[in-house]
Amino acid sequence: MSAPSLSLPIQLVWMIPLYGFSGMLLSLPWAAGWFKRNGPRPAAYLNLLVTLLAVIHGSWILQQVWQLGPQHLEFAWFQAADLNLRIGFDLSLTNLAALELVTGLSLLGQVYALGYLDKEWSLARFYALVGFFEGALAGVVLSSSLFMSYFLLEMLTLSTYLLVGFWYAQPLVVTAARDAFLTKRVGDVLLLMGMVALSAWAGSMEFQDLYVWAAEADASGALTPLAGTLLGLGLIAGPMGKCAQFPMHLWLDEAMEGPNPASILRNSVVVTAGALVLMKVMPLLRFSPLATSVLLVVGTISAVGGALVAIAQVDIKRAFSYSTTSYLGLVFIAIALQQPAIALLLLFAHGLSKALLFMSVGSIIATTNCQDLTELGGLGSRMPATTSAYLVGSAGLLGLLPLGCFWCFGLLVDTFAHQQPFFAAVCLLTNALTAFNLTRVYRHVFLGQAMPKTKRAPEVNWLMALPMVSLTVLVALMPALMARLDPVPGIASFSLPVAIAVVSSGLLGVAGGAVAPLHKFWSRSLVQPLRVLQDLLASDFYTDRIYRATIVAAVAGLARLSDWLDTRVVNGLVNGIGRLSLASADGLKLGVSGQLQSYLLTVVLAIVLLLASLQWLQWLHG
Amino acid sequence: MPMLSILLLIPFAGALALVLWPGQLAPGRLRAVALVVLGLQLAWSLMVLARFDPSSSAMQLQESLPWVSGLGLEYRLGVDGLSMPLVLINAALTLVSAICTRDISQRPRLYFALVLLISGAVNGAFLAENLLLFFLFYELELIPLWALISIWGGANRSYAATKFLIFTAVSGMLILGAFLGLALATGTVDFSLTPVSSERLAMGTQLFLLGALLIGFGIKVPLFPFHNWLPDAHTQASTPVSVLLAGVLLKLGTYGLLRFCLGLFPEAWAQLAPGLAIWAAVSVLFGSLAAIAQKDMKRMVAYSSVGHMGYILLAAAAATPVAILGAVFQMVSHGLISALLFLLVGIVYRKTGTRDLTVLHGLLNPERGLPFTGTLMILGVMASAGMPGMAGFISEFMVFRGSISAYPLATLLSMLGSGLTAVYFLLLVNRAFFGRLAITPVTDPVTHGRLDVQLAPVAPRETIPATGLAMAVVAIGLLPAGLGRLSESTSTAIAQLPALVSALQLASGPLLGLQAGGLG
Repeated sequence: MSAPSLSLPIQLVWMIPLYGFSGMLLSLPWAAGWFKRNGPRPAAYLNLLVTLLAVIHGSWILQQVWQLGPQHLEFAWFQAADLNLRIGFDLSLTNLAALELVTGLSLLGQVYALGYLDKEWSLARFYALVGFFEGALAGVVLSSSLFMSYFLLEMLTLSTYLLVGFWYAQPLVVTAARDAFLTKRVGDVLLLMGMVALSAWAGSMEFQDLYVWAAEADASGALTPLAGTLLGLGLIAGPMGKCAQFPMHLWLDEAMEGPNPASILRNSVVVTAGALVLMKVMPLLRFSPLATSVLLVVGTISAVGGALVAIAQVDIKRAFSYSTTSYLGLVFIAIALQQPAIALLLLFAHGLSKALLFMSVGSIIATTNCQDLTELGGLGSRMPATTSAYLVGSAGLLGLLPLGCFWCFGLLVDTFAHQQPFFAAVCLLTNALTAFNLTRVYRHVFLGQAMPKTKRAPEVNWLMALPMVSLTVLVALMPALMARLDPVPGIASFSLPVAIAVVSSGLLGVAGGAVAPLHKFWSRSLVQPLRVLQDLLASDFYTDRIYRATIVAAVAGLARLSDWLDTRVVNGLVNGIGRLSLASADGLKLGVSGQLQSYLLTVVLAIVLLLASLQWLQWLHG
Repeated sequence: MPMLSILLLIPFAGALALVLWPGQLAPGRLRAVALVVLGLQLAWSLMVLARFDPSSSAMQLQESLPWVSGLGLEYRLGVDGLSMPLVLINAALTLVSAICTRDISQRPRLYFALVLLISGAVNGAFLAENLLLFFLFYELELIPLWALISIWGGANRSYAATKFLIFTAVSGMLILGAFLGLALATGTVDFSLTPVSSERLAMGTQLFLLGALLIGFGIKVPLFPFHNWLPDAHTQASTPVSVLLAGVLLKLGTYGLLRFCLGLFPEAWAQLAPGLAIWAAVSVLFGSLAAIAQKDMKRMVAYSSVGHMGYILLAAAAATPVAILGAVFQMVSHGLISALLFLLVGIVYRKTGTRDLTVLHGLLNPERGLPFTGTLMILGVMASAGMPGMAGFISEFMVFRGSISAYPLATLLSMLGSGLTAVYFLLLVNRAFFGRLAITPVTDPVTHGRLDVQLAPVAPRETIPATGLAMAVVAIGLLPAGLGRLSESTSTAIAQLPALVSALQLASGPLLGLQAGGLG
């Protein structure tokens, strides 16, 4: 409960998600076209204002929590019988740092969107959706209860669906939005199952109470192994969908059909929110060794598979969205191996670097109107700010130069090297493959001859350049930020051989990417085995086809079966009976319609029956 | 003041006045009169709400008047936490349905009189505290609805209306038969709402009577495999009638399940409950799967009702306090959401002349399509799919939360049905509202390629009822505490009924004691 001694900004923490939601409401008049006179810009300005307020409020709380230590606030929401649902906020440094990441990137992304969507007629709708999105995200990272996390995660699913479907008139967007919603929804329904079961067993939905319950239930063996395993699998399914992990990774790459400013947020903070939720449910997985194994397997496949698939993409946005899947795979491994601190650092470093990369990519797309790598080239000299953003973002993502992810890779490899050398190797491999991919894309886009679409390529306008350059500086300064986030035992607490291993894996990748043959016209290899491999990766291991052949086909088949059962069997039966009764009613037809009469007859008969039986009853007892 | 009788009097007197009013009246004038009467009814329902004491689980504001005492028929009304929200929903949705009845040219006088008659009869059924009185009102609502479908319906209306009539007549006969059978078996002509204990009536007889009631109300709800009349009735009925049918009349069935099946035979109910939970899951899955295969928007929404009503049976089978409260929530939220969806489908149909999902594309188009209707439709389908922040989520959550301990498998299967809801409604939005605007089948490339589709704009007044419903759906989703407080004590009392009856029986206490305990 909120103690009276808490300062006002902390007591008003419930306003933080409301900033985003209010941004949505404020945009509505323009989005609905009620105010047409001055264009949709005011909606964007209002959203920027409330997001700025959220950033300021969040920083204020962060500063106070820094001094006072973690705080917890709860508000009653709904109570009935033995159900008690509360709104709770956990103000720990971790959560607040994540909040800063969310609101800060949202602010930068919104400024960026002002430039990127300059001529978009439905700008107000975009900002309304981003406000909704930001509100849900801010709530998820602060939430202290599973119920509230689920509540907001679902809202996030909805806003992702609407943001991906922003340009809903395009056929690819329609399928992308559908897949984004349904894939996440599968995860959400499984999470709902887990949550409902937990709610019935443990009573409270607060994470702290759930941990206590889990410890007790584990000690007393109150839960059968089957129930524990199913619970664990349900709980990890939600974050798996949100973090675009194998086999629910399909949506993130299709989601790249949406506007780029939303992609910036999706690839950096949405996946971070999903991983944070996973971290919070982690202590509940003690009943389920299987769930932990699944996390490891899924993480490994996603990390390596995602990095491989990314290399085979020719669409510039997709090349990086698969890399998001890949990095979140590493985060999953770290969480499953009980290294939440490293996982957090990696999330933070990845979030900022990936956001920067997507800003750079957005600049390229905005300037050239092209996402196809094979049609890009020679931009390095033409767009200096974009190029430096790309380089700094890549450096922040790789274990090569001493920027963000280098330290994370070092810590990961150092931790795993002795006990789980396999996962250390996975980290190094992912690093090398990512380095290969980033170098390959760099060569495609920034080096070489200018192509028809890149000949006249000026640098982007200041609305895009400002957030991009600010973020470039921020990513460059990331090690300092990370050192403040995690002072003990320090982000550099790994040995020199590990550092060398990380750097050499990065170097190897860069070298590979630098020498690999890149053909603009023969991007599909002529060597048969290579071509098969390339096709396999380019089409993401044919995951969508596997889905279509299995789950989608099964649901569609069952649906057709139900429909057939209904129209043929049940309906046929009913019609048969109906014909019989109508035929007998035909004889009673007196006027225009026989049906009314038949009905009246039924009613009269019923009443006569009623009266007679009651009379009989009375007579019986009378 | 007889609060509840006035609630019946307002619509019945209104209907009578409409019929008997001398001279020719313009349809607009008739509609205005109906709106005034329904507004009055809503206001009076709110008055009843103000007088209602939510902390008590007993029947309140009771009125009784001996009618035909020899038959056990007594005019006895009362309201509790189960019927109060339903009375409000009835008043609100009938008003909505009258508001969205516009261009009615054919026999408007009869039309509005029938709508008022239905609303009054439904009020009576929800408020009746006597089995025979309930049955009278239950039957009274049938004929007007049959007429509404068969006179103002679509092309195939006589088939649908007859089907509706046959099904519901069977339903009525089963219910009446069970009520009479109860009197016959117990040997008294007491048709009050007193729970039957196995001491008074052998379990075999109880199960038999309960079975008849279950099928009777199962037809009305409707539950698989007795749902067959619903999709046809909906597709042939006009929009306002569909709103009434889905929003209000189906609730008679679920109300009957809770009030009469569970309420009269708590012990037999507890015996059948495991089977009922499975039945609920089958109904949910069947309704959801069948909805996926539909091409007609209205049929899809109709099948979704079959699925969503299954949750209520699940909750009733589990009969925990949270589950029963969830069932009440689900009745209210399904009433609002399905009414909203039917209104929106109605707008689409009026503007495009079709509801075929293979023909409609890109209706969200900003200038030439139906953007606002589309936005509300997205909101409505998301609410139906259980998106948090809207009424569907908290209802489903409570149903599942209350049922999972008792029937884990059935509950998990029902949750799967909730996931399938997202599938078919997403298909609906994706097919009809996303994409490029076109009102032609894709198989006809020449007309499909036309770019000059221009739909008639939707006037703001046409979307006012839908906007109001959407706001109510969001309000309940964000602030469920009000509705929860209204129904909590009653739903808890209903949930405790089976245990209470067995306990009383063990103590062989006087059965009259029950009257204070729960429903009596």
